[in-house]
Amino acid sequence: MKKARVLSLLVLCIGLCPLWTGAYEYESESLTLSLSGYLESGARYAFDSDTPDEDPSTELGIDFNADIGSKASFKLFFQVQGDGKVIDPGNGILFNEFNKIYQDKNPCVDIDEAYLDLFTDSMDFRIGIQKFAWGRLDEINPTDNLNTEDFTQGGTNEENERKIGVPAVKSTVYTDLVNIELAWIPQYVPYRLPTREERWFPGVLKPPEVIATDTAAGDIPVTSSYQDIEMTGRYPSHSEYGIRVSKYIAGCDISLSYYRGYNVMPITSGPTDLTITLKDLLALDYSITAETTLVPEIHKMNVYGFDFTTTVGSFTVRGEYAYFQNKYYNRKLDSVLSEELTQEKQDNIMDDFMETYLDSDGEQSVQTFRIDPAISLQKDSMKYGVGIDYIYGDTSISAQVIQEFVPGYDDDKPIYFIKDGFDTLITVSFKQFFLQNTLEANLDGAYDLEFKDYMIKPSLKYKFTESLQLTLGAILLDGKEQDSLVGQYQDNDEIYAKLRCYF
Amino acid sequence: MKVRHLGISLLCICFFIGNIMIAAPGFSAEMTAQEIVKKSEDLLDQAKDSQTDILMTLVNKNGKTRERNLAAYIKKGENDSSKSLMFFLSPADVKGTSFLVWSEPDKDDQQWLYLPALKRIRQISASGKGESFMGTEFTFFDMGSHDTDDYTYTLLADEDVNNEPCYTIEAIPKEVEFYKRIVIWIRKGNFIPAKADFYDTKGEYLKQGIFSDVQNIQGINTPTHIEMHNKQNNRSTMLDLSNILYDKGLKDDIFTERYMKRGK
Repeated sequence: MKKARVLSLLVLCIGLCPLWTGAYEYESESLTLSLSGYLESGARYAFDSDTPDEDPSTELGIDFNADIGSKASFKLFFQVQGDGKVIDPGNGILFNEFNKIYQDKNPCVDIDEAYLDLFTDSMDFRIGIQKFAWGRLDEINPTDNLNTEDFTQGGTNEENERKIGVPAVKSTVYTDLVNIELAWIPQYVPYRLPTREERWFPGVLKPPEVIATDTAAGDIPVTSSYQDIEMTGRYPSHSEYGIRVSKYIAGCDISLSYYRGYNVMPITSGPTDLTITLKDLLALDYSITAETTLVPEIHKMNVYGFDFTTTVGSFTVRGEYAYFQNKYYNRKLDSVLSEELTQEKQDNIMDDFMETYLDSDGEQSVQTFRIDPAISLQKDSMKYGVGIDYIYGDTSISAQVIQEFVPGYDDDKPIYFIKDGFDTLITVSFKQFFLQNTLEANLDGAYDLEFKDYMIKPSLKYKFTESLQLTLGAILLDGKEQDSLVGQYQDNDEIYAKLRCYF
Repeated sequence: MKVRHLGISLLCICFFIGNIMIAAPGFSAEMTAQEIVKKSEDLLDQAKDSQTDILMTLVNKNGKTRERNLAAYIKKGENDSSKSLMFFLSPADVKGTSFLVWSEPDKDDQQWLYLPALKRIRQISASGKGESFMGTEFTFFDMGSHDTDDYTYTLLADEDVNNEPCYTIEAIPKEVEFYKRIVIWIRKGNFIPAKADFYDTKGEYLKQGIFSDVQNIQGINTPTHIEMHNKQNNRSTMLDLSNILYDKGLKDDIFTERYMKRGK
C-alpha cells in the first residue's frame, strides 16, 4: 500500500512537471511580480523496523515576490505539506501556530517568511515573518538565537529548513564605519517538537520507564505526559531583541552581537504525581507509581557574541564565539527522579500518607502526592568554534570544531549533551559537482568527541532538467549513550528519496 | 598592467585582448602584437562601469542544453582596481545567489558568495582559478582580470574568420599556469576578437572561444554572443548578452553585502 502511494506521488510529481515551464513574472516600470515554487514528494525507508514509521510526504512551496520601485519589496514564502512524519494528527487547525510546540497537523500550511522591505539610502527596514542568519559557522551558530528551530526531523535537516520564521522587525543601518543590524521580536515563538509517538521525538525527553530504588517500594514504574507551552503575556518585557555590528577590515569580516531572549532548546520542568497504594498495613507493603508531566519552561538569557571570517591563502577561515549568561540546561531525568525518591524523602511522604490514612480510618489506601523536581539548571556557559573551507572548482570541503564549555559543571547533577563540562563536535562537509553541475555528491558528517557518537549524511542529487531533480540520501546515526545528542536517535538510520519539481 | 573586463568580463575570456574595443583611429598596419595588445588596453579603459543581462547556455556532449540567467555589474576603481557583482536569476535552485569580487593590482581578489538557502554571505578564497566556473567551460581564471605583461606576443600570418580579415596573435605565458599557449584572432576592422584557441599546460588543444554578433552599444563595439567549445570533452558554453549599459554611473555601494542580499 505504501509503495503504491509513493509511486503515485512520484508519478504525480513527474506528470505535473512538464506543465510548469518556469516562474510567472510580471514587470512594469515601477512593479515587478514573480511567482515561483516547487512540488516535492519524498519517501523514507527505516533500517530498523521497530522504530516509528514515516509515511511519504508531499510538499508544495510557493514563493511570491513583489518589487515596488526601488524603495520597497514584499516576499511571501509558504509551504503546504502532507507531512508523513505526523502519525496521529491531533490538532485540526491547518496553519502552523506561533504559540505551540506540538503542531501535530497533517496536512498543514507553514508560513515560512512573509515580510515587507523598505529601503532608504542608508537604512533597510524589514517587518514581518522572517529568518535571521547571524554567525559564520555552518549549521551550528552559537550567536544565532533569534529564530527557534523545528526539531520534528531531529535536527537532521538543513539549518534554514529547521529555522522557524518569527514575526519581527529588523532595521539595518549602513554607515561608512560599520553596519548595524537591530532586531526586535515582540513575542517569543517556541521551538517545535514531534509528538512522543513520532519518529524523531527526542529520547532525552522520555523519562525512564522505571526508577530503581533501594527502598521498600522497589522499582517505581514511571509514566509520562507532555504539556504544551504556556506563552508569556504580550508585554514589551517579554519580547526579544538583538543588535549586531559588522565591519570589513583588513580582509576580515567581523561582527559583534548581543541578544536578549528566550532559550532556543527545549527546557522542561517535571511535576510528578506519586501514587502510593498500601497493600498490607501490617507488613507495610506498599507500591509507588510515578506520573511525570513534562512542562516546557522558558528563561531569558543574554548572549554576547563575536564572529569573523577571512581568507588565508587558499582557505577560508571562520570563527564564532558566544557567552551565554543565564542559560538553562536540562538535567538528566533519571538522576533527578532518583534524587527525589531517596529513602528519606519516601519516608516523609509515607508519614504524610499514614497520617491521612489513619485519619480516614483506612479508607484512603491510595493517595497521590505531587513532587516538583528541579530538572532545569541555570548555568552561564560559552560556545565557540572555528571552521575552515577549501574550494577548488567543483569541489568544496569544510571542517569545523565547535565546543561548548560549562564552567562550574557539577558531576552530581549531570546535564544532557555535556560531559565533564564540555561537549566538542567535529563536523566535515564535502561537496563535489559532476557532469556540468547536473550531479551533486554530498557527504556531511559530525562526530562528538565526548560522547563518541556520530552522524553521517551522504546524498546524491541529480538534475534531470533545470526544473526536475532527484535526491537520494541516507542518514546514519550511532552513539554509545542513549541520551547523547545523536545517541538518542541511534536507531533512526534511514535512506530517503526526494523528487522535486520547480516551477 | 591588468586588463579589466568591463561588464562582460566574464564573457570575454579573450582576456589580454580586452573585450571592449572601438575602431582604433590611427591604427597602423606596422603595429606589433604587443602594440595591438597595448591598444586594446587603452580602448578597454574607456567605460567606467557596465551592466548586462546574460543568458548562459550549457551544452553537454550529447547536445542537451541547460540555461541560466544572470545579471552582471562591473565598476572600475582607482589604480587599476575594480569591483564586480553577479546575480543568478534562474534556474530556481540557484536563484538569488550572488557573487561579489573586489580586485586590486598585485593582490589576490577578495570574493564573497551569497547563498539564499543559507542566508549568509561567505568570504571565499580565490583559489582554484583553473577550475570550471559553475559547470561552464569557462574557468575562474577566464573570468578574472589578468596582467598582459605576463605574456609574450607574436604576430602570426593574417587569417580570415568567417570572411572577416583578422590579425592572428600567439600569446605565450611567461610562466605556464593554466594555458601553455593561446592563439587569438582579432578583427582588423574593429579590433574585436573573433576567435581564440586555448592549449592546456601540456600543449594539447583544449578549447576554442568564438566571439560574434558584435553590436555598437553607446559607441562601444561589443560581441554579444560568446561560445566556448571544449575540444577535449566536447562540451560547450554559450553566453548571450542583452540590456548592456555602459557608464551608467553605478554607485560603489552596489558592490557590497547589502546589495548581494537584496538581489538584482
